[in-house]
Amino acid sequence: MPNNSIQKNVLHAIDGYSDAMDHQKQLEQTGTDFTEQKGAVAHTISKLHPKRLSLEVCEIIQDTPSTKTFRFVSTGLPLPPFQAGQYINLFVNIDGVETARPYAISSAPLTRGYYDLTVKLVENGFVTNFLLNNVKVGDQFQSTGPMGTFYHNPLYHGKDLVFLAGGSGIAPARAMIKDIADRDLPYKFHLIYASRYVDDVIFDEELAELDAAHAFLKITQVISRPPEGYQGRRGHLNADVIKELTGSPESKMFYLCGPTSFHDFCAEQLETLNVKARKVRIECNGPPKNPETLEGWPADLLPAKEVKVTIKGKGSFKARVDEPLLNSMERNGYSAENACRSGECSLCRVKVVKGNVFNPSEARLRETDAQYGWCHSCVAFPTEDVEILV
Amino acid sequence: MKDFDVVVIGAGNAGLTAAVAAQRGGARTLLLERHNIPGGCATSFVRGNFEFEVALHQLSGMGTKEKPFILRQIFQKLGIMDKLEIVQERELYRITMPGEFDVTLPASWTGLRKMLIETYPSESESIPKFLSLCEAVTKEAFMMLPRAQKANDETILKSSCPNYVKYGLRPFKDVLDEFFDDEDLKTVIAAYWCYVGMPPKDIPFQDMAMMIYSYAAFKPCHIKGGSQAVSSALLESFLDAGGEARFNCGAEKIITEDEKIKGVRSEYGETFSCDSVISNTSPIHTFNELLDAETPPEQVANDFKSRRVGTSAFVLYLGLDCTPEEIGISAASTFIIDDRDEELAHKNMEAMVPPCHTMVTCYNYDDPSFAPEGKSTLSLLCLQYGEPWENVPPEDYAETKYDFADHLIEHAERVFPGIRDNIEEVEVATPLTMMRYLNTPGGAIYGFRQNTQEGVMFRERMNAIGGLFMAGCWNGMGGFQPTYMIGESTGRAAVKYIAKQKAKKEEVTCA
Repeated sequence: MPNNSIQKNVLHAIDGYSDAMDHQKQLEQTGTDFTEQKGAVAHTISKLHPKRLSLEVCEIIQDTPSTKTFRFVSTGLPLPPFQAGQYINLFVNIDGVETARPYAISSAPLTRGYYDLTVKLVENGFVTNFLLNNVKVGDQFQSTGPMGTFYHNPLYHGKDLVFLAGGSGIAPARAMIKDIADRDLPYKFHLIYASRYVDDVIFDEELAELDAAHAFLKITQVISRPPEGYQGRRGHLNADVIKELTGSPESKMFYLCGPTSFHDFCAEQLETLNVKARKVRIECNGPPKNPETLEGWPADLLPAKEVKVTIKGKGSFKARVDEPLLNSMERNGYSAENACRSGECSLCRVKVVKGNVFNPSEARLRETDAQYGWCHSCVAFPTEDVEILV
Repeated sequence: MKDFDVVVIGAGNAGLTAAVAAQRGGARTLLLERHNIPGGCATSFVRGNFEFEVALHQLSGMGTKEKPFILRQIFQKLGIMDKLEIVQERELYRITMPGEFDVTLPASWTGLRKMLIETYPSESESIPKFLSLCEAVTKEAFMMLPRAQKANDETILKSSCPNYVKYGLRPFKDVLDEFFDDEDLKTVIAAYWCYVGMPPKDIPFQDMAMMIYSYAAFKPCHIKGGSQAVSSALLESFLDAGGEARFNCGAEKIITEDEKIKGVRSEYGETFSCDSVISNTSPIHTFNELLDAETPPEQVANDFKSRRVGTSAFVLYLGLDCTPEEIGISAASTFIIDDRDEELAHKNMEAMVPPCHTMVTCYNYDDPSFAPEGKSTLSLLCLQYGEPWENVPPEDYAETKYDFADHLIEHAERVFPGIRDNIEEVEVATPLTMMRYLNTPGGAIYGFRQNTQEGVMFRERMNAIGGLFMAGCWNGMGGFQPTYMIGESTGRAAVKYIAKQKAKKEEVTCA
């Protein structure tokens, strides 16, 4: 409070001091102690960016023999709005192992009652096997709120959009298409969807219906291993095919989503077509599968080698050098907050106190991170015995 | 024995310097941070090939190696100076009102005087007088005023601080009017009001005088790696000194007994006993939500009543596929204004109308390493209060923010055409984004409104709870230099408090 000994306060000799004190008194008459705003900040933020969503599976749709769409409703607060293309990170407990995987929301943003997550079986996939084989209607989960930067940004993406989807990479495309239709946005959207077999095509019928119903939408399917007598387009997506299908690719905005090998290849092809980096958005898809093949991997370090990982003050375990740190931590009962699990979101950052990890180019580290040993554990590989501060 | 001597809540600028000062001062210190990274707003984030500085525009107080200023000395003391690479800026700023004037001020005290006189010859007599006044008031405020205040002697005050007595607390606008007739010149000199968030009529002369003098005489600078480099270095220094830090671990309750600190409970239910708490979160959050009392202590409640929550900001972080020169950038900091009326601009901050005062910061202008080769890292900022944004329904939020961002780009393109066509990465931050990451009411970035009576000399320390210290922009000036400094001095104050408590206990034991 203002100085109690006002009479003696020498500061009153300063021009403007008394005026300011008077002003302070006036403000005091009309102000509050802010107690009426208790909880307001947390409440405002939770409507847009809740830390966790409480979800329940209300429906499971078998899309293809290897793909299911899980429809989630909230058992807590209303589901927050999201931008078509964003994902949530779904937390699971599989035989006691707490882990999580990010999945793009495949339902439309204006459908506020539920989120669809479309999950395709990954061969030997720890989580996809669990989701596809064990999860039933009524099961409950926690997830992050919607996240990610893979969406149409009206500030610079323009109106001529091309989406190159591979496999389950169709999930965010479906949300985008529905969003354009629901909001009647003035965009053109060309979906070029690559699948291996015709049986793999996710949302086949629905896409055909959308294609027929909307003038803004064009859908081209490309099948790499078509059955005999297949009438549609066959083969792989490459520069020639993209050029043929899109006319003038350099003037369009490209969205790439699919397995890492798929979007890496497509990005290369677009580069040969002189499409600038700023015209290409790529949704990353997990840590690199064979880090030992990447640039910067220590020479002579075999992927099967085991090292000791020590979590400072907590314990230690053995882990293979080609397994992301986050995964081995989770298998051993340790955890770090995480979301994208592809090196981007930085939520899983931990500090390496001793030893070294390999950071592939997927790890979007800050300039000063290396100096102090910070890494993104979801894409960091311990190349020797390490000690980690979590 | 208690788990810790001091628990610091929040690893923002002041939290970090407080933690380092406390730990290095011998207090066993725990630092709690609810995010996964130190720095608060002194941080950066990565999109594509760009790393974006979140909040630092121009760091003041460092001085040069030859002519070090106070912040450099503090960083030295905190053990981080050898870990930082300083980049000096060449210009204070460019300020332009398209079609009316376009002026660039050099980052040099003599150069500034020369340049202003050349540009505004009709004011050539007043300009040196005004600048000398800025220098005199700054020096008196730093060196003489504290002594005069301590002596509480009017004669000493008047003889040692003549300029301060006459000008220090007068509205900055009044002083400008007293010295100058040229409206352009007044606007040009007042540009830094954006760093305070109040229009010149509500800022005391001393605050602006200090900014103008210390930025020009001691040069604005950047740190390689951005403010994150400072935050990371501070954390490292803290850990090296034996401090303990927990990330992803917010404080949930400050536990007291007989109006004295007893401990802190984390959001995960773990309780740490301690004698002192340094809170780097807002006092509103500290006293109304963290403290284990239904209502804030009377002293604090009364203090709160004369406060108003300050401004937030709307920021566009842009990674451009072109060089700064290609879009016409000619200074690291540019202010683009539509009119000379700062009060109108301040009024607009309370509504969601297209911005009329835009601040453009180009991070790779003075040092190319701040962006990938051939590209640029920019931020476009306009101040905005949180309230209009708090009223946006969640389902309209994305559209609202893109609309506003669109206006901001349009405004900046009046001076820098070609921004939009070169965007490679963009991230939009609204007052709600600030609120989300800073956990402040209204998403405030400078704390309470920084009007005259907000100054430290008008306030008693909020000392209603023994051992509870506040450190941050809510308890003094906002901005980087002030918060680093207030944290460091608060850390020292906590060390003293701990020592006193220990001495008291020993006395009791001996008795």
